[in-house]
Amino acid sequence: MAKRIGLFICWCGSNIGGVVDVPRVVEETKNYPGVAFATDYKYMCSEPGQNLIISKVKEHNLDRVVVASCTPMLHEPTFRKAIARAGLNPYMFDMANIREQCSWVHSNDKEAATQKAIALVKRALAKVSQVEPLFESSIPITKKALVVGAGIAGIQVALDIADSGHEVILLERESTIGGNMVKLDKTFPTMDCSACISTPKMVQAAQHPNITIMTYAELVDVQGYIGNFEITIKQKARYVDHTICTGCGLCTEKCPTKVLSSFELGMGKRKAIYIEFPQAVPNKPVIDPDNCRYLKNGKCGICKKLCPVGAVDFEQKDELIEEKVGAIVIATGYDLIKWEEIYGEYGYGRFKDVITGLQFERLVNASGPTNGLIQRPSDGKEPKTVVFIKCVGSRDEAKAKEYCSRACCMYTAKHAHQVIEKIEGGHAYIFYMDVRTPGKAYDEFYRRTVDEGAQYIRGRVSKIYQSGDKLVVMGADTLLGSAVHIEADLVVLATAMVPTEGSEKIAQLAGVNIDKDGFFIEAHPKLRPVETMTGGVFLAGACQGPKDIPDTVSQASGAAAKVAALLSNEEMATDPMICHIDEKMCSGCLVCKEVCPYKAISEKTITERIAGQPVERMVASVNTGLCQGCGNCTVACRAGAANLKGYTNLQLLSEVDALCR
Amino acid sequence: MMNLTKQIREQAKKLLEEKKVDLVIGFGQGTELARTTPVFIDSPEGVSALTWGPFCANNLAKYLVDYKNAPGNVAIVVKGCDSRSVIRLLDDNQISRDKIVVIGVPCAGQLEWQKVADEVKPDATLKETVDNGDSFVVKTSTGDHTFNKKDYMLHRCLVCENPNPVIADFTIGEELPVKNYAERFAEVEELEQLGLEEKSAYWDKQFSRCLRCYACRNVCSVCTCELCVFDQMKPMWVSKRTNLSENTVFHITRAFHVAGRCVDCGECDRVCPMDIPIRKLNQKIHKDLKDLFDSPTPGSKEGLLSALGEFSLGDPEEFM
Repeated sequence: MAKRIGLFICWCGSNIGGVVDVPRVVEETKNYPGVAFATDYKYMCSEPGQNLIISKVKEHNLDRVVVASCTPMLHEPTFRKAIARAGLNPYMFDMANIREQCSWVHSNDKEAATQKAIALVKRALAKVSQVEPLFESSIPITKKALVVGAGIAGIQVALDIADSGHEVILLERESTIGGNMVKLDKTFPTMDCSACISTPKMVQAAQHPNITIMTYAELVDVQGYIGNFEITIKQKARYVDHTICTGCGLCTEKCPTKVLSSFELGMGKRKAIYIEFPQAVPNKPVIDPDNCRYLKNGKCGICKKLCPVGAVDFEQKDELIEEKVGAIVIATGYDLIKWEEIYGEYGYGRFKDVITGLQFERLVNASGPTNGLIQRPSDGKEPKTVVFIKCVGSRDEAKAKEYCSRACCMYTAKHAHQVIEKIEGGHAYIFYMDVRTPGKAYDEFYRRTVDEGAQYIRGRVSKIYQSGDKLVVMGADTLLGSAVHIEADLVVLATAMVPTEGSEKIAQLAGVNIDKDGFFIEAHPKLRPVETMTGGVFLAGACQGPKDIPDTVSQASGAAAKVAALLSNEEMATDPMICHIDEKMCSGCLVCKEVCPYKAISEKTITERIAGQPVERMVASVNTGLCQGCGNCTVACRAGAANLKGYTNLQLLSEVDALCR
Repeated sequence: MMNLTKQIREQAKKLLEEKKVDLVIGFGQGTELARTTPVFIDSPEGVSALTWGPFCANNLAKYLVDYKNAPGNVAIVVKGCDSRSVIRLLDDNQISRDKIVVIGVPCAGQLEWQKVADEVKPDATLKETVDNGDSFVVKTSTGDHTFNKKDYMLHRCLVCENPNPVIADFTIGEELPVKNYAERFAEVEELEQLGLEEKSAYWDKQFSRCLRCYACRNVCSVCTCELCVFDQMKPMWVSKRTNLSENTVFHITRAFHVAGRCVDCGECDRVCPMDIPIRKLNQKIHKDLKDLFDSPTPGSKEGLLSALGEFSLGDPEEFM
């Protein structure tokens, strides 16, 4: 049957019509083979415009439609719905962008813009001549979410999803949830105690009927696709049976082995059987197998002897747990950059009294190793002069990261304020490049610190060296144009946030891209900031880029809303514009499988009749749930057996031919 | 070389007698003195048709694809270069390892049959060939001829990477040393020195001669599509017309379809009836892959991903 194309060209008011000679475009294209009807209209996207399309489809028995107007990003869905209302398959449609690509960019050359519009319309006509109806299919959704990482981002995501009535697995590799936020002392700009606002959230998560917390556990495999992920979690051996442990703490008290605590960032000690901090959730101990005397040498076992309920179990093994979820939220957070490996000018970590901002948080924290007294690590003396250095690793293209870590300006102002407030006769000097305070009540907070007497010096530090019990900080004051020497008792570095160790592996498992610095890449930096290019995988918090707590929590709630929306459906429609393998053309080389970023291609055996005989052979097969229609396979397939529906080789070549004529 | 021929025959006979394979693919004496023909032997009595010497230039590996779906196992006689094709076919899932038996023969190089044919009498029959290191002595019914390798050998053999097969279930004869592999890109480097227009003129001259006989494709051991793009009608990627424009598209497309998988066996060059230096195109890609990604020659190791058949999240996208 002959094709009956309807061509509708839009003026977009004067947006297109003011530059492109629209009636001439109609005139030059209406005789293109297959065009059964062609017209122009002031605003095709308007209600009357859409009704025009619908009535003409019916009146002229059109079987496919081209609209020449603005970008398909804007109105392709509008017009697809319109022709569907007219009774056509919504994919029997193509758009020519004669606004952004013609009238807007060639506004000073009307003739050229018109010529280009004619060419683009012909291209769309060539394409639409080759289109075929496509059909959405639906897949069921597992109404459960996985949240990877239980810092403040992960906890917030889990709580919000759980509150919307869906089950959540909150996964954490450490022995307690809480992440970095629970290590902090006060939080800017309101100075509320970090533990006081975050530990209730931890408890809330633990008590929520819809949340299953899995601590000391790691994600090891992800299979499947949006709505239907099959995940494998490795529960690391805790050597303590948490189902019977009461958390009495006798074991941790009597354990004879003391090691540096990673929770205290190496400034305090813990036992080999330990609970990270008093408000930990779950508040039950684990045994560190690298330091436990019994697990290393088979001697000791005091904890086992003392445990009143017999919860210590040295025979416990790592366990693999399989779960099904419909959505995954990555909230793996940040680490601080390993400045000791980069900055020789600050002593490569040789000087005990050069610490990071996070270590300072522990020093000033009432539940920290010094019970909140600011005592320097070398001799426990109270420092009088404290130097803060900002942008250590951030905004340093030459040695570390180009980006700004965003939270440092504010927490450094907070630290300086705490030095002045808590230390009698305390002085705070801050070396900075710029002070960035774009947040609600942030600049006011910074101003207050300056007014209190914190001395901001605009310049970088070139060297720190030990002189007696002082650290001499040599820097430059670029505003005064002079060198600065400060004899400091303590130096605090505002080190860059970097993606947490192991986030690359999570990216690989979940099929999500990471940027050059290792942060997860969102689907769109402005309009889809919590989604990823992989359907059903979302992002929250500093794993996507450096963030402070308010931004992290907002983003977490955003991600949770996306997950809740997804899980509120029983099933979901799949995009029909995905890969299709022509099995008779496929030679089974599976190069498509290698290049597929979504693991959507696998092999399958088909039976063919060759010379009258049934022959079994292997070909590629596409999982329609996993395929995102990226087209990598269609490029890699030499024979053209892999084709992207809606953008087939035939369709693309027709377009090229039309443009080259 | 008589000795090697004898050993190949014995090995083939043993495999057929013990029913390890149903077929042996090897080289047999051709109708002319300096040419061989592929032979397909299915009984122990037939092995006397097998031969070996400096006239076994054909890469027989592609014949394996014909037996991909056939019942039974196949043994194949390969040189070093051919063995890379075997690995590539395995990596492209075109044959399965348990279906084939590879009889590898270390190869001292192959002579250009045309040059040899020019010097021996047309009615001469071959008695024996002897490898003297720098030359081959070809003993015929009408007298002996010495052909020094430098002047009479195929260029690809002069710069051979793998005189010894990289995959073999049985190896016949002694392993041989690698000689001038380092000079393999000399011709490409020479071409690289030309200016853009000179290069274009050079290739125009070559491609305009192309008959589109597709011998280069048909012989190529990595051209294993079920339906080649040049044979497809819908879409018609390349027109059937023979002119410079379509010929150029054909050659460039072919070069990219084998890019990262071409094992540099040089058969395309050898079979071209118009002497188009097709291998130079492939070699330019080989050189670029080597320079940019330090890629080894495809097929030289098992399990290598092809340069255009790999997706890595860590790939820098500097061009985007």
